[in-house]
Amino acid sequence: MAEVGRLTRATPAQPWLTPVLLLRVALVLFALVAWQVMAVSGWFYRDVIPSLPKIWTALVKLLSSTDFYWNLGVTFEEIVIALALGGIGGIVAGLIVGGNKFIASAFEPYLYYLGPTPKIIFFPVMIMWFGVDSGSKIAMGALSCFFPIALNVAAGMRQIDQVLIKVGTSFRANWWQMTMKIYMPAMRHPIVNGLRLGLGVALIGTLLAETKLSNRGIGFLVIQAYNSFDMPRLYAVLLVLFMMAIGINSVVAHFAKLDEIKQK
Amino acid sequence: MSAGALTLRRFAPQAVGLGSLVFLLVAIEILIRLGLINRFIIPLPSEVIASFGRVVAEEDIMDRFWQTAWECLASGVLLTVFGIILGVAMHGLPLFRRACETWVAAFAAAPLVLAYPLFLVLFGRSSLTIIMLAFLSGLPPVILKTIEGLSATRRVLLNVGRSFKLTPAQQFWKILLPSALPTIFVGIRLGLIFALINVVGVEFLINFGGLGKLINELAERYDLPGVYASICFVILVSVVFFVATERAERWLKSAA
Amino acid sequence: MAVATTQNRMAPAAVAAPAIMVVDNLAMRFATPEGDDVVALDDVSFDVNPGEFLSIIGPSGCGKSTLFNVIGGLLGGYGGRVTVGGETISGPHHSIGMVFQEESTFPWRNVVDNVAFPLEIAGVGKRERIDRARHFVSMVGLDGFERRYPSELSGGMRQRVSMARTLASEPKILLMDEPFAALDEQTRLLLGDKVLQIQQQLKQTTLLITHNITEAVQLSDRILVMTYRPGRVKRIVNIDLPRPRSSEIVSSEAFGRYVAQIWSDLREEATRGMSDEQSRALHSGTPA
Repeated sequence: MAEVGRLTRATPAQPWLTPVLLLRVALVLFALVAWQVMAVSGWFYRDVIPSLPKIWTALVKLLSSTDFYWNLGVTFEEIVIALALGGIGGIVAGLIVGGNKFIASAFEPYLYYLGPTPKIIFFPVMIMWFGVDSGSKIAMGALSCFFPIALNVAAGMRQIDQVLIKVGTSFRANWWQMTMKIYMPAMRHPIVNGLRLGLGVALIGTLLAETKLSNRGIGFLVIQAYNSFDMPRLYAVLLVLFMMAIGINSVVAHFAKLDEIKQK
Repeated sequence: MSAGALTLRRFAPQAVGLGSLVFLLVAIEILIRLGLINRFIIPLPSEVIASFGRVVAEEDIMDRFWQTAWECLASGVLLTVFGIILGVAMHGLPLFRRACETWVAAFAAAPLVLAYPLFLVLFGRSSLTIIMLAFLSGLPPVILKTIEGLSATRRVLLNVGRSFKLTPAQQFWKILLPSALPTIFVGIRLGLIFALINVVGVEFLINFGGLGKLINELAERYDLPGVYASICFVILVSVVFFVATERAERWLKSAA
Repeated sequence: MAVATTQNRMAPAAVAAPAIMVVDNLAMRFATPEGDDVVALDDVSFDVNPGEFLSIIGPSGCGKSTLFNVIGGLLGGYGGRVTVGGETISGPHHSIGMVFQEESTFPWRNVVDNVAFPLEIAGVGKRERIDRARHFVSMVGLDGFERRYPSELSGGMRQRVSMARTLASEPKILLMDEPFAALDEQTRLLLGDKVLQIQQQLKQTTLLITHNITEAVQLSDRILVMTYRPGRVKRIVNIDLPRPRSSEIVSSEAFGRYVAQIWSDLREEATRGMSDEQSRALHSGTPA
């Protein structure tokens, strides 16, 4: 009789060659071409925008120098220690603050409002307290990551299912057992998320400190390249740094998500 | 319970918090005077408080404050305008959004401020370097929140628009955008906070500008109480800014 | 309390004036995520007469909302024809005003600005549109609330705002999809009174989609009973209760009889619907 309306089903896209991928490739290519054009145009002072081959050469040179890896090791060590110190401090503070309503109202505002402030300005104080070597850099990193971790842990404490706490109390667990066997496991996600955030800011804090005053580390390499106006090298170091930062962040985020899915 | 006692109860936590702070300062003062803490590493809190006045008077603090404020304002305006425009564009071009939204998120996580030496080369030791860094650091949250806000517009409101035969432009200005505004403001607030942190941080690092430069100068002069006092001042400014934007956000959310 | 007979009033002006809307062999199919086709509507035909209040009632799953969206022009790709004043519907038609089931007031506009919305779109000047909007705000009984925001109002009041907004566009046909579904029974009855009042005042042709029998009988001139999926017209019932009506009519004998009659039709369909859902839930393994 009358024709019937029918919704058509979309044809399934081909497995890997999607429009999205094509667009991304196109955008990247466009950026690279635009860069190269600007580099050879002469519009900019020499080497401010170095040509792509120059950057590539510097990149290869950087990644094949022991110098780089040694400095990378220094920075890595600083960040790890900073994250450990800030992490433990943050977790402890978070457990205390989150565990008690009164303490939370008294002290959490300080954490919350002092968190989003420029920490690098504390660097002169850190130098005074911990010297000009790695100590002050680690201190900067630890100070930076303390706040997000503490806040995340405190929030996590509040979200724990009260039933679990009652179970622990009914079995007369002491405070150490409660912490290690109930609070910490229950808060795996806030802690992991806090550490993820903390890693990001610890990285920034440590590296910025290195650029300001240091003779070692990746931050130092950045400033060294800047001071000698070795632009290709500056770009190379920054590229490597950013790739690593984004890479580490993605990896950690990926594992955090996997862990979350597994638990569900 | 009497009214007085009730008030005491209500403000007890704040009192304890503040009290602890005061107690800590007094304890440090005593310990330094007793010689247990080196006064060349930690100055007397009383000296720091005293130097507040000196710093304000001698260091043109108002000029420096306005310098920092102007840099924040400039980068704030830039990140708001470009952030919203890019967010709207990405929302309106789904393919573009699918390709680039994760890039923007990755960019948000990237430690852009570490590239400040590069910006120094590109823009010189000037306000422009500071403004550009702050602008780019604060841009991603505005873009992401704009996209989020526009996408979250309730379907029934769009249907109301369709039932009144609104043109796409009218649909955007009269329904999509007003609906998204509270979320967009959350993004702007985040962007402004990042901008402020970066402005002061970079000022300190490159020794140019307003308040950040002040801290750096005082540090180079080994004016210990001055350094502590100016750090406190900057933290205070930053907290006030944070609270003010928080109030504004709350007001906007309640009006919606 | 005499049973209303045809001598009290004539049947709706089907003979006197041509139908304002004609639905002819309307059919609608959807593809499900699993891949099969679901026929939501099959061969639905009815006329709507000018000035009448027509309710469309049916069990869940009878395609009521699909019908609403098709008539409202929000859904295309249907088979058959739907015409309004001779024009085929292909997109929202200017003679049809829609009132949605969900919360649809604009939270960022106050009451009078919400109601003035269609006038604003039509380019009416500020002073005039505020005046005209106030008229409709008053009509739905919200005098004094002009400057309030939806967040300050109750659910029932917000639905009244939505209704006033649609009325402000002065549509030839008012199309409403279960506008009172989220409200409690008492509020429903009272709002029903309001709607009746307005409809009488404006002689507004109204199409009401509902699952509530009491509401349908209270408000309508005719009731269209739909079958369970695929949705077809099971029966059209003339409601010969006297006008003007009020919610008191709910207690009359004639009212009770109409409700019973419609329920017996609906029950069949609703039962079919329920057993269908149950068997599907059984097969897919999810709890019903």
